[in-house]
Amino acid sequence: MIPLSHFLLISACLFCIGLYGVLTKRNAIQVLIGIEFMINAAVLNFVAFGRYDAEQGGGQMFALFAIILAAAGVAVALAIILNVYKHFKTIDPVKTDTLKD
Amino acid sequence: MESMYFADSQIFLVSAVVVLPLISFLFILAGKRFNTENLALFHIAVSFILSVYLFTGIWNKQTVHLQWSWFSIGNVEFKVGILLNNLSVLMMVLVSGIATLVHVYSRAYMKGDPDIYRYWAYLGLFCFSMLGLVVSDSLLLIYLFWELVGFSSYLLIGFWYTRDSAARASKKAFIMNRIGDLGFLTGIMIIYQQFRTFDLSLLFAENGLIQASFIQEAMWISGTSGMPEIWLTVAGVAFFLGAMAKSAQFPLHTWLPDAMEGPTAVSSLIHAATMVAAGVFLIARIYPVFNLQVLNFMVIIGTITAFMAATIALTQNDIKRILAYSTVSQLGFMIMALGIGAYSESIFHLSTHAFFKCLLFLAAGAVIHEMHHNRDKYGLDFDYQDIRLMGGLKKQMPLAFISMCIASAALVGLPLTSGFLSKDSMLIKVFEWADSQTGILKIIPYLMLLSSALTAFYISRLIFKVFFSKPQPVSIPVVSDAKDAPGQMTVVLLILALFSTFLPFGLNPLSYETSWLWSGFSSSEILKQELYHQIIPFMVNTISAGMIVLAYRMYVQNKPFRFVSDESFLYRFSSGEWYLNQFYSFAFVKPIEKVALLSWRFDRYVIDAIVLSAAVVVRRISDFSKWTDKNIVDGAVNGSASLVAWAGSIFRMFQSGRLQHYLLSVLIVLLTFLILIFLI
Amino acid sequence: MSTEQIIFYFFAALVLISAFMVVSMHNLVRSIFLFFVTLFSLAALYVFAFADFVAVTQVVIYVGGVLVLMLFAFMLSNKELLSKINPVNGLIRINHIAGILVCVLFLFILLNVIIQTDFENLKWIKAADQISTNDNTVHLIGIQTMTRYLLPFEVLSVLLLMALVGAAHLARKERKV
Repeated sequence: MIPLSHFLLISACLFCIGLYGVLTKRNAIQVLIGIEFMINAAVLNFVAFGRYDAEQGGGQMFALFAIILAAAGVAVALAIILNVYKHFKTIDPVKTDTLKD
Repeated sequence: MESMYFADSQIFLVSAVVVLPLISFLFILAGKRFNTENLALFHIAVSFILSVYLFTGIWNKQTVHLQWSWFSIGNVEFKVGILLNNLSVLMMVLVSGIATLVHVYSRAYMKGDPDIYRYWAYLGLFCFSMLGLVVSDSLLLIYLFWELVGFSSYLLIGFWYTRDSAARASKKAFIMNRIGDLGFLTGIMIIYQQFRTFDLSLLFAENGLIQASFIQEAMWISGTSGMPEIWLTVAGVAFFLGAMAKSAQFPLHTWLPDAMEGPTAVSSLIHAATMVAAGVFLIARIYPVFNLQVLNFMVIIGTITAFMAATIALTQNDIKRILAYSTVSQLGFMIMALGIGAYSESIFHLSTHAFFKCLLFLAAGAVIHEMHHNRDKYGLDFDYQDIRLMGGLKKQMPLAFISMCIASAALVGLPLTSGFLSKDSMLIKVFEWADSQTGILKIIPYLMLLSSALTAFYISRLIFKVFFSKPQPVSIPVVSDAKDAPGQMTVVLLILALFSTFLPFGLNPLSYETSWLWSGFSSSEILKQELYHQIIPFMVNTISAGMIVLAYRMYVQNKPFRFVSDESFLYRFSSGEWYLNQFYSFAFVKPIEKVALLSWRFDRYVIDAIVLSAAVVVRRISDFSKWTDKNIVDGAVNGSASLVAWAGSIFRMFQSGRLQHYLLSVLIVLLTFLILIFLI
Repeated sequence: MSTEQIIFYFFAALVLISAFMVVSMHNLVRSIFLFFVTLFSLAALYVFAFADFVAVTQVVIYVGGVLVLMLFAFMLSNKELLSKINPVNGLIRINHIAGILVCVLFLFILLNVIIQTDFENLKWIKAADQISTNDNTVHLIGIQTMTRYLLPFEVLSVLLLMALVGAAHLARKERKV
């Protein structure tokens, strides 16, 4: 059996990699990918803990829901990115700084 | 009762006499154009009439003394009042009489002058102050009128003030009079310190305080107070100093010749008859205060004055200057007579001198008036007062000639004139006095005799040059056209000529002791020697006659006397007026002017520099505070504002508008939290 | 080391390496394809956690949905979308220091927590019945969906509708008025 902590370690690493992508990428789609990484890390966590819940399967349920929500979120995010491009003519988050003081 | 009644009305009379000319002065100043000459004449004439009335009531009959309280300082009360004795009423009549005659004369003499109203006003002021002077009973009041008289003299000398010489002469007169006033005031202060009163009747009467005081062990004691005896001499000299300035004695005489810048009528009234007599009057009034040293000093000064003025008058060429020096000389005679104790002789001479000197001046004025008038008519240009340019006026102006001759005779002291009585009385008395003196004082009578002789010479020189000799070519047209003076002037001349004879003064033309005027005053204590009474008049008149003949030879017949020539030292010394003016200018005027210049320079460059540098300092301080305010205070305020702005701009950097930065800051906070929990 | 462990560690490494390459690549196309690899590897990991249905759902939805969506969105968009990417030099830029630092610290904290937790001795883990390979997870999931998690299931469908409508509206072409 794979110990629980191994799953959690992997999920932590994945989460941090996704965080790195969110913080540093100059392309909004790559930022979206980073977010997806973070969500997937969470899902991996859910599933890892769900191994110990045989009668209710709560972990797996939540994992499913999370996946669905992530998909919906990506769709909306891409629509938003499209609109951002239409307005700013760029999808570089560094360039979209009209909220700057 | 009758004397009481007389006294009450006398208050009114006296005040009227004194005040009327003052009223005239004030009215004229206020009204200016309104018939000034008649107003002035009316006032002075009424004054004269009232003075005569008072004279008849007081002369040799009674002495009136009235007092009122004036003011008080602490518990010392000062009184003011009137003292009428023989001396006062005589002076009152003299002053008002001569003033009336001069008023009449001036109507014609000053006709056409644009400032005539000022003339009448100032004459009124002068008469008021002179009359007030003679009736005052308190030293303080006399001083007040003394100053006023000096001031009126200043105004009248400088009447034609647009002329530079007139302005300077009036200033000189006033300043020299002030020197004398200083002495007078010092005397008053000493008297008050010793006796605590100013009252003349208390001080100087027969049994007055001064007689009652005595010298004991080098202290001058009166009642309970005393001071070292030197102060008595000092007081006497101080009073005499006042009289010296007012009566133009050596060395304070230089103002009188320059005072001839005023109108001739003014010169006659003020500087011949009345004001210059005020000094003599003062000495007579306070006679008991002088001790022997001061009296001897007076004699010396009087002699020097008489002699000096006579020598100077020999060489002067301006007709009025000759007469001015003659006045100085005669005043010297009067002072000398007072000094030797010949009180009544001096007053006698004062009265007679007033008349004939006034006549001399007015006649000279008539001549000057004609010369001036004709000079302007012919458009010529020469000094119309220079006797060298006159001549032969005997035929043109007979009445002036006659009156001038009579006055000159009185001046010389020829018999049948009033001057004979008064002058010879003085000369007799001085010889008698010298008998009892020792040392250098013995030559004084001979000096006076010499002065008399010189008097005869210079006045006859004047008469011959003006009326007898041939005129210079430049002034021939002027002289030949001269006429006698207008009616008013001539009438006055004739009245004065009458008073120059012996008639008004006594019925005996040869003996002065029978004169009523002489007997109105106390006689001196000099030992009478009948010898002198016979010889002196004879000797004096012989010498005078000789001098007249000499002058006739020199100036009419043109046979010059080789004794002195025009270029010799004596001649120049005399015509330069003994160089006294130059000496005074060198010794006093120039140093004072230098001091004034130095003070001005000090004030301007040191004091003003300090003030300006204070201003500069203040300005620097204000600059500094402005800098402080601008840079430090405003700097602090602005600095704090810019500090806030800078801090704001720092903090603003958080709002970069970049999404990832916002996320980063959120995570950093979270991380900090977690690390803290993790570590702690 | 059993076979299970070896395969597990292989897939784990694959996940991590591909994830790392995804975020470090600048070329968008390459990173999307590597994302694809990551998702597949994750699905394999789900299997090791006895969540087979989740693994399949992951593949279907994520790879077949999300990834394809991204690819289409990226491919069918303008060229300017791609050309605006700044050319960069070097792997690690100085601007990324803060991001790197934060991530490292996060990782550090997480790893510390995970390592220090003694999972085996947790009560509920010890007491739990572990799902075995013989269990029918689909059956379990179906029942749970319809009974216990019905409300979330329905809400989720509404939410999906909302997302659909919203995304369609957002991406509409503006008609020039």
